[in-house]
Amino acid sequence: MINPIKGLHKEFEKEAIPHTDILYNYALRMTGNADDAHDLLQETFLKAYRFWDKYEKGTNVRAWLFRIMKNTYINVYRKAVKEPDTVDYNDIQNFYNIIREDSTDANDLQEKLFGHLLDDDITKALESLPEEFRTVVILCDIEGLTYEEIAEFVECPVGTVRSRLHRGRKLLYSKLFEYAKKRGFVGKD
Amino acid sequence: MDCQEFRELISDAVDERLGPGYRRTFADHAGSCRNCRNEFELERITKQVIRTRVRPATAPAEVYESLRSTIRRSPSNSQGWLGIIFGGEFLNPAVALVALLVIVVGAISLLQKNNAIPLSTEKNIIAQSINNYTATMAGILKPELVSHDPDDIKDYLSKDTPFDVSVVTLDGCDWCGGVLSNVNGVRLVHVVYKIGGEGILYVYQVNLQEAMRGERVGLPEHAKSVLAKTGWYCEQTPEGCNVVLWRHKNTLCAAVSKIEKGKMIALLSDKKP
Repeated sequence: MINPIKGLHKEFEKEAIPHTDILYNYALRMTGNADDAHDLLQETFLKAYRFWDKYEKGTNVRAWLFRIMKNTYINVYRKAVKEPDTVDYNDIQNFYNIIREDSTDANDLQEKLFGHLLDDDITKALESLPEEFRTVVILCDIEGLTYEEIAEFVECPVGTVRSRLHRGRKLLYSKLFEYAKKRGFVGKD
Repeated sequence: MDCQEFRELISDAVDERLGPGYRRTFADHAGSCRNCRNEFELERITKQVIRTRVRPATAPAEVYESLRSTIRRSPSNSQGWLGIIFGGEFLNPAVALVALLVIVVGAISLLQKNNAIPLSTEKNIIAQSINNYTATMAGILKPELVSHDPDDIKDYLSKDTPFDVSVVTLDGCDWCGGVLSNVNGVRLVHVVYKIGGEGILYVYQVNLQEAMRGERVGLPEHAKSVLAKTGWYCEQTPEGCNVVLWRHKNTLCAAVSKIEKGKMIALLSDKKP
């Protein structure tokens, strides 16, 4: 007779461990440092293992693990992290106008704004997005998940994923523009 | 398509999700409206920048190792308490079934006797320990934490406990578990060991001075007297359980098990600090 504890370990490891990278990446982008990301990952896997009997076999285990991580983050880590300031959408519209006047085409804009920015600036801008926007941008633009998968991960309608992505990317653009202005890569208005 | 409709479709267009019908009207509008075209381009560029400049992080190898190791040391609800008890690697199914029946019968009997109190509220420490051992075997008293590493259990039980908790490495121990409780306002610690091939060993722990004062929990006089003289006290219940009491620093420990008395003392003696 096979040891049920060892069998359970093996089953859990086989199902859950392959999703470590996507969870670690999300944890890193949400907490902003490797130590907290590791802790969040550990806590997520411990909870998942503890409640493995609640997981419906054959359903999306990656989405299930992600939801555990997201809830753990909200309950434990978010309290300790100051949420980024919200951005006034009128500012973004004004920013669009400035950009349009400064540049002739989109490729010129891309080079002008991002050609000189450090990867760290871009990561920082991403990590400063409000959580609900950051989550969908990470899942779509870094992990390459479909809207339908993201909707399952964050438990919301596809339409909400779409609008969060749109608003999240606009916010991100405005933040990157601010970095570029501060570093003198674009003219100050 | 007007500007409002166009903006609602920007993300779909950026992520190449537009159907052929929409693609055409979207492109037509972008060609005729500079503001909308720019907004689309900005979002497209943003996605491209994130995709190319923010690399997905890969968990380091030690993270994987640490996860595996943590999982192997952790209990799962799926195992169930009785599942853990009968989790021997090659346990004969027939033996497991008989043992399970014995426990079920014991549990029913216990439920009828004491109305299923999870932890004994008796003042007498020996009676408490025996009741708790019975409740453990019946699956009524369940450890809050189970681990293969005694230090995990000790750390957990030591938090806010006003005496030295003893959780030791015993030969042949498959796992150990722990529960905290308060009886009559006194903090109690309960440790359960599963000894391969021997069975369950339950150990009750309480502050030694509290036990000796005997106001809220206490010992019968003869047990107290023997313990004070020798540092040990043993007795056997009519049901064949062995009870062994000893002192560990400022803690009184009371072990109960059906493990044979000599083996039980040898087991505990070896590890006696």
